[in-house]
Amino acid sequence: MQSFSFDPVVLPPGIGEFRAQIRAFLKAELVSTPAVKKANSWAVYDAGFSKKLAAQGWVGMVWPKRYGGYERSSIERYVLLEELLAAGAPVGAHWIADRQSGPALLKFGSEEQRQKYLPGMARGEVYCCIGMSEPNAGSDLASVRTRAERQPDGRWKINGQKIWTTQAQRCQLIIALVRSAPVDEKNRQAGLSQFLIELNTPGIRIRPIVDLIGETHFNEVFFEDCIVGAECLLGVEGAGWAQCTGELSLERSGPERYMSSLALFLELLRVAGPNPSEVLRQVIGRTAAEVWTLRQMSLSVAGQLAQGKDPTIEAAIVKDLGNSFEQSLPVLVQSITDSGVRLEDDSDFVQVLTYLLQTSPSFSMRGGTREILRGIIARGLGLR
Amino acid sequence: MSEQKQMLADAVIRLFRDAGDISSRAEREGFSSALWNQVEELGLPLVLVPEDRGGVGGDWEDVLAVLHPVGYYGIPLPIGEAMLASRLATDAGFDLPAGVSTVAAEIQGQLSRSADGYVFSGTLKRVPWGRDAQSVAAVLEFEGRPHLLLLLLPSAAASVHAAHNLSGEPRDDLYFEAAAVQAAPVASADAADVHERCALLRVAQITGALEAALHRSIDYAKERKQFGRAIGQFQAVQQQLALFGSDAAAVACAARAACQAAARGPASFQIAAAKLRANQAIGLATGTAHQVHAAIGFTHEYALRHATQRLWSWRSEFGNDRYWAERLGAAVAARGAENFWADLTERDDAAA
Repeated sequence: MQSFSFDPVVLPPGIGEFRAQIRAFLKAELVSTPAVKKANSWAVYDAGFSKKLAAQGWVGMVWPKRYGGYERSSIERYVLLEELLAAGAPVGAHWIADRQSGPALLKFGSEEQRQKYLPGMARGEVYCCIGMSEPNAGSDLASVRTRAERQPDGRWKINGQKIWTTQAQRCQLIIALVRSAPVDEKNRQAGLSQFLIELNTPGIRIRPIVDLIGETHFNEVFFEDCIVGAECLLGVEGAGWAQCTGELSLERSGPERYMSSLALFLELLRVAGPNPSEVLRQVIGRTAAEVWTLRQMSLSVAGQLAQGKDPTIEAAIVKDLGNSFEQSLPVLVQSITDSGVRLEDDSDFVQVLTYLLQTSPSFSMRGGTREILRGIIARGLGLR
Repeated sequence: MSEQKQMLADAVIRLFRDAGDISSRAEREGFSSALWNQVEELGLPLVLVPEDRGGVGGDWEDVLAVLHPVGYYGIPLPIGEAMLASRLATDAGFDLPAGVSTVAAEIQGQLSRSADGYVFSGTLKRVPWGRDAQSVAAVLEFEGRPHLLLLLLPSAAASVHAAHNLSGEPRDDLYFEAAAVQAAPVASADAADVHERCALLRVAQITGALEAALHRSIDYAKERKQFGRAIGQFQAVQQQLALFGSDAAAVACAARAACQAAARGPASFQIAAAKLRANQAIGLATGTAHQVHAAIGFTHEYALRHATQRLWSWRSEFGNDRYWAERLGAAVAARGAENFWADLTERDDAAA
C-alpha cells in the first residue's frame, strides 16, 4: 500500500565505538578550522586532510583489499560520511573518487584500470572529477556533444567541452561521458561511452570559473584533438548512459544531500543559548524534526543500498526534500534572529549564514535539478 | 516488515477494504457495532497486550501496521485508543477491559480513596468515542505517583457532552461525580506520557490518510482529461504530486522510526519530531489533493473529504505544530549546539 519504501535501518552492533573513534580523530584534526570553512565541508579541497583520513583506512573503505580498500560495510561508510559532514571536515578532494568514481571503476573498469588507480584513490592521493555537464547539456544529459572518434590505430580522438566540472583543476582524473557514435534521434541515449582520462593528457585545457562568491570550484574542460589509448574506455562502448545513470544514484543518495546547512543550525544554537525566545524555539524545534526525519530517510536509503537494492526513486526523494530543507534554513534564520542580523559582522554565525545564503541556491542543481528529481518521483508514482 | 506484521496488516486491510463506505455510514448512523465485533475477533485491541496476559504480544510497529489501514480507509472506530487502553490496563495489573475501550489524554479532577476502593470526580476532555465506550483509561497523579484510572460506562455518576471532530468522529467531554473507579499505580513507558502516546497513534493514522489522499489524487489525475489529455501528463501537475508523494514518504518514514523507538522505551524526541513532521505535511498534502481534484473533490458525496477532513482534525489533536515545536525546540536549545548531533546519533546507536 505504501508508494515508496523507507524501511528503517538497524545499525550494526559496535557502531557507537566506531563513531567515537571518528570523532576523536576529527576533534584533533579540526581544532583550528574556522566555522565558515566547516560550512560546506564537501566542497572544501584539502589534500593533506584527505591523506590523513586515508591513513586511518577511511577512504575507499568498502573496496576490496586487493585494490587498497578495507572491505568495511557500507553502513560503516555511511556513519563515517555523516560524521565528517557533521564536523565540517574538508573532504572535497577525495569525495568524488570515494563516492562514485572508485565504485564506477570497480563495477565497469578493466583490471588494469582498477590496479592503476584504485590504490592511489584509497591512499587519498588520486582524485577524480565528473565530466557529465556541457554548455548545452545539463539536465538533458543525453544531448552531450563531446565526441570520441576511433583512430585507425585503435586509439580515440576526443573533441569537445565539459563545464561546471568541480575541482577539475586539482584532480588527476576525469570520467567523461562522450558521444562515441553518431546521434540516433530515436534513441539519443545510445552511442554514448564513458572514458577515464588522466587530466595531464595533451589536448586537455582546464579553465576555472569564478563563482558568485569569488571561489573557483568549477571549471571548463576543453578537449582539443586529445588522443587517448583504447584502454581509457570505461566499461562497454555505447553503454555510457546506463553506466552514468547508475553513478547518479550513488551521487544522489548520500547524507551530503541534506546536511549542507547543518553548520548554520549549530551556529544558530550557539547564538540562541539554552533559553531562546519563543520564535527561536519554534524554528529550532521545526528544524530538529526535519533533520531527524531526513536522517531516518537517508539512513534507510543507505540500508537499501547495502542490501544490494537500487532505491533510485527513494534517493531522489531524499535529495529533493533534503535540498529544499538546506535551502530554506539560511533564509529562515536570516528572517527570525532576535536582534536582526548585520551581514557585515564577522562573527562565525554571520559568516556561515552569508556563505550559505549565497551558496545554497546551487544545492538543488548539483547532482540533478529539482525539476528532474520530481520527474523521477512522478514516474515512481505512475504518472509518467 | 516481518512476516507476522505483514499477515496482521493483510488481515486488517482485507477487513476494512470490504467494509464499504463506512465513514459516510458512521456519519449517518453512528458507531458500527458490527465492524467493531470483527475488529475484536481479529484481536486488534489487544495488539499491545503481552501474550501471557491474553494479548497479541505485538509492539508499536504492529500498532502502525494496523493503524495505517485504519487511516487509509478512514475507519471510524477507536482502534488505536483501545490498543493503548488495554495496554495501560495490563500495565496497571487490571483485567483486560471488556467491550469498547478508549483512552483520555486530558484529565482534570480528584481521585480519592473510599471504603471499598477509589472515587473520581472530574472531567475527561475530548475523549475519542467517549459516548460509545464501555471503559475509559486515563493516567492521573495521585499520592505522588501516576495512577491508572479505569472508568466504566455508562454510569449514573457520569454525563457526556457530545462533540465531534471535522470528520464526525466523536470527541466527547465526560463528567464524573463521585464515580467509583478502578485505580492502581502504573509506571510503564506507555503510561509515562499518555498524551504523547496518543500523538503517536495519530501519526500512524495520518500516514494512512495521506496515502489515501495521494492515491486518489494520482488515480484522478490519470483519469481526468483536459486539453485532450490526462491532467497527470502535465508537468505542473506531476511536480505537485511528486512533492505530495515525497512528503507522504517522509511522514511514513518518521512514523516507522518513532514506532520503533516507542517499542524500545522512552521516545519523547522521536514522537515529537514525527507528530510535528506529520502535521507539517498535512497542509501541502490536503491542498494538493484538493487542487488536483478541483470542484469534484469539494463535494460532500466524493470520498476525498474522508481523508482530508480527518487530516485537518488530526493535525490539531494531541498537539499542533506549535505545541510540538515548542517542546522540541526548548529541549534541543537546552542541550546546546555541542550535543545536538551527538544526541541525534546516540538515539539510533543505542538500539544497535
